[in-house]
Amino acid sequence: MKKHAITLMVNGEERDLIVSSNRTLLDALRDDLGYTDTKYGCGTGECGACTILVDGMTSINGCLTLAATMNGKSITTAAGLARNGHLHPVQEAFIENDAIQCGFCTPGMVLKTISLLDENPTPTEAEIRHGLEGNICRCTGYTKIVEAVQDASRRISGSNTSAIGE
Amino acid sequence: MNDLSVVGKRVERVDVRAKVTGGALYAADVQMAGMLYGKIVRCYDYAHAKVTGLDLSKAAQCKGVIKVLGPKDVTQKEYNGSVLDMMVSADMRGMLGDIDDQSIFTDLVKHYGDAIAAVIATSEEAAERAAEKIIVTYEELPVYLTAQAARQPDAVQFRPEKPGNLAFQLPEMAFPDNAYAWGEVDKSFEEADIIVEDTFYVPKQKQCQMEPGAYIALYDDQERLNCWTSTQMPKLVQKKLANLFELPMTRVKINMTVIGGGFGARLGMVLEPETCALAMAVPGRPVKVLSTREEDWVTSPSRHPGKYWMKMGFKKDGTPVACDAKFENYKGAYYMDASGTAFTTGAWLGGMYKFDSLRYRGESYYTNQSVCGAFRGYGNPQTNFVMEQMVDRGCAALGVDPIEWRKKWHKTIGDDGWCIGVPYNSCALDECLDRAAKAIGWTEKRAKYKNQTGTIRRGIGVSVMNHTSGAMPMLLEHTVCDALLHQDATVTLNLACSDMGQGSHTTLRQVAAETLGFPYADVHIAAGDTDAAGFDIGAHASRTLYVGGGAVKQACEDVRKQIFDRAALELAEPVDNLYMEDKIIHVKGASNKSISVQTIADQGVNNFMNPETGELIGQPGQIQGYASFFPPHNAPPFGASIAEVEVDMETGEVKVIELVNAHDIGRAIHPGIVEGQMDGGAQQGLGMALTEETYYDEKGICLNNSFTDYKMLGPSDMPKMTNILVENPDPTGPFGAKGVGEAGIVPPVGATANAIFNAIGIQILDAPITPEKILKALAEKK
Repeated sequence: MKKHAITLMVNGEERDLIVSSNRTLLDALRDDLGYTDTKYGCGTGECGACTILVDGMTSINGCLTLAATMNGKSITTAAGLARNGHLHPVQEAFIENDAIQCGFCTPGMVLKTISLLDENPTPTEAEIRHGLEGNICRCTGYTKIVEAVQDASRRISGSNTSAIGE
Repeated sequence: MNDLSVVGKRVERVDVRAKVTGGALYAADVQMAGMLYGKIVRCYDYAHAKVTGLDLSKAAQCKGVIKVLGPKDVTQKEYNGSVLDMMVSADMRGMLGDIDDQSIFTDLVKHYGDAIAAVIATSEEAAERAAEKIIVTYEELPVYLTAQAARQPDAVQFRPEKPGNLAFQLPEMAFPDNAYAWGEVDKSFEEADIIVEDTFYVPKQKQCQMEPGAYIALYDDQERLNCWTSTQMPKLVQKKLANLFELPMTRVKINMTVIGGGFGARLGMVLEPETCALAMAVPGRPVKVLSTREEDWVTSPSRHPGKYWMKMGFKKDGTPVACDAKFENYKGAYYMDASGTAFTTGAWLGGMYKFDSLRYRGESYYTNQSVCGAFRGYGNPQTNFVMEQMVDRGCAALGVDPIEWRKKWHKTIGDDGWCIGVPYNSCALDECLDRAAKAIGWTEKRAKYKNQTGTIRRGIGVSVMNHTSGAMPMLLEHTVCDALLHQDATVTLNLACSDMGQGSHTTLRQVAAETLGFPYADVHIAAGDTDAAGFDIGAHASRTLYVGGGAVKQACEDVRKQIFDRAALELAEPVDNLYMEDKIIHVKGASNKSISVQTIADQGVNNFMNPETGELIGQPGQIQGYASFFPPHNAPPFGASIAEVEVDMETGEVKVIELVNAHDIGRAIHPGIVEGQMDGGAQQGLGMALTEETYYDEKGICLNNSFTDYKMLGPSDMPKMTNILVENPDPTGPFGAKGVGEAGIVPPVGATANAIFNAIGIQILDAPITPEKILKALAEKK
């Protein structure tokens, strides 16, 4: 298998690594770089547990992306959202709205929410639900997750914080 | 109890900061030096076949391979992956006979995905590649996918000691006539004016917990077997592994990793035996085994599917005179807990209504499907789908309102609960029904949806349930907790209760803080491993808050008593004269006499002898509270759901418009957590009613063991939901609390089915109620 030397900017830190052509971004992040906050839930792009942000606000599934195609890209995972010891407003909203139970979908769900609110800062409930269709949660029935996204929308649009919190 | 300061509050959950940043360590996230990877070779070509040849040689030569193991290279001891046999008395266990029928690797495939062999290699990829080089040849055997097929006289016998492939029926010794019964059912039916009867099918629903199975095992230099797993039942899995590998319990340690959802899928052993067997083959090296989603689907247990027949008789005035029922479940390839669900399915039926007579038979048949085991509700959703549709058919024939009938005839305080001889001691189901009916506008909508015509039709349906808080007296219920008071007057609780995501570590901490009279922040829960913690039966049967909370409360009361006893000595006042405020103990009516808990705690630890007098200062000895707690009851929660649906008569599609859930929970220790359980339960209950089923082809090949092909309700499919928390404190629960973990899944099942019945005038007997089944039923009616 051909190997590729690539550089990724993960959560603001430059990381060099060598990956085989078939290495997924999910495996590279988890196993080669130690970003275990990105979760394996299905490996087929159905559950969204491996959602990450690329070059700002674009959400993608790590399990469907080949690491070798990501050379030079900037990647944000859940571990990279806090700024100066403060959680991202979306993370705070998930905590305060009891939107977290087992937590396995949470990193992906939070990152998807950030991407969603970047595209549409004041979504309707239907737009939120539609936007989260690619992220499965089996604990919450989505009720409190939707409430958390609504709360996050208010927090972000109210404070003029950019969704990535720079 | 309005003076509660921590209980009833929406405190921040203990685990959410770690989870929202991704810092929480699930088993797959744990890394160790020298880690090896195991890949299990499974049969995906047949559901029933003899292994006629196994060639491991090519795999052994692959790059990175450390060892390749077949059935003969690991322990030959058979085991039962369920823990149910450890939860019942020796007498009861004796009645079950030999139920150890699983082996680590098999030469007789009994279901799609059965384990044949394994590779240990230096990377996951190397293990996977080598696994592909293992050559297995098979001789195909006939496949049995239903109880009806498996019990044919000429069928291949799964276990000689279980003739007719009948893994379990209610044993004659404990259940005369193999039935859970009271009264004389046949005679009672003679008094009935109206009799309804039908045979239903309940589906093989999957838990679909988001974290797939992941395990690490290490046989270390002290010859101890360590296993990192997200099991729901650490102490029982410790004992099970000790038995399987013939080690004393002191040489087996379960490290509890963060659990990414359970719902029953982790109730017992899943791949812990395989992973530990690999680790035993390479002493000193940790071995990690990661299940793919598809693999997890067919190796962890599902809900018990099967045919469920029921007959009910009523007098003209509505009196329920008799109920007769039989559940023939398709157990899957191995025994697991064949006895459990076969019994409880009837127990929930028996616990609901005041029938003069009732008779329930439960039978579990081996089939060539993946195993069944525990799934949230444990037989209750199956009974809800059938019982509640039969009741509504009866109400239609009687011409009575389904809510009024239920209010009149449900069991209540003083009546036998799910276990005959253990009466209910709290029940607020009438309030649940009244408030749910008001919230959704039952009376108006029920009237409005009569005699509809047209393509889109609305319907509204109700369902009720009883459940449990722990399984006393049928199963052992026991939790040990110790509570250590540190020198800074904070407390660490040490116990083995797991938190699957339902929030138990938060609610247990609230119970502790409230009991101690300390702030929430002053209590920490250590539930990390089985070396440190005393016994706990594990997270099942909605029992962690009720039983674990009982243990926590008792241990903390012990701490509080010791603090007050020492304060009484120091202040030279009787305990009854003392009270605590902000962790200072005062004497009633004497504002100048007080001692802080801080002082007592500090003197307990940092006690130096006075060099002049040779005396200790204050009272030495670190305070530790202890409880080995057996609950006095099973405090059954009750619940009602009302669903409103819209059915498209041309396409058969069902849309759930609204769902109101009202649950009698005793007391909400944390309202947000209770609501979360009801919300999440509803998503699974609606799914069971409408979309969720594991499908097999005629050869027993599973067709939808993936999120691509198994349909769960997504965010846009969920209806508007309202949760009503009815707080009617139970006399035996900690601060009046009853279990809430499972109940949420149950009544949405029957309510959805009854709403469809109300909309289209036909009952659909097979769950899930798919558009195809509705169209077929509508066509047959014409």
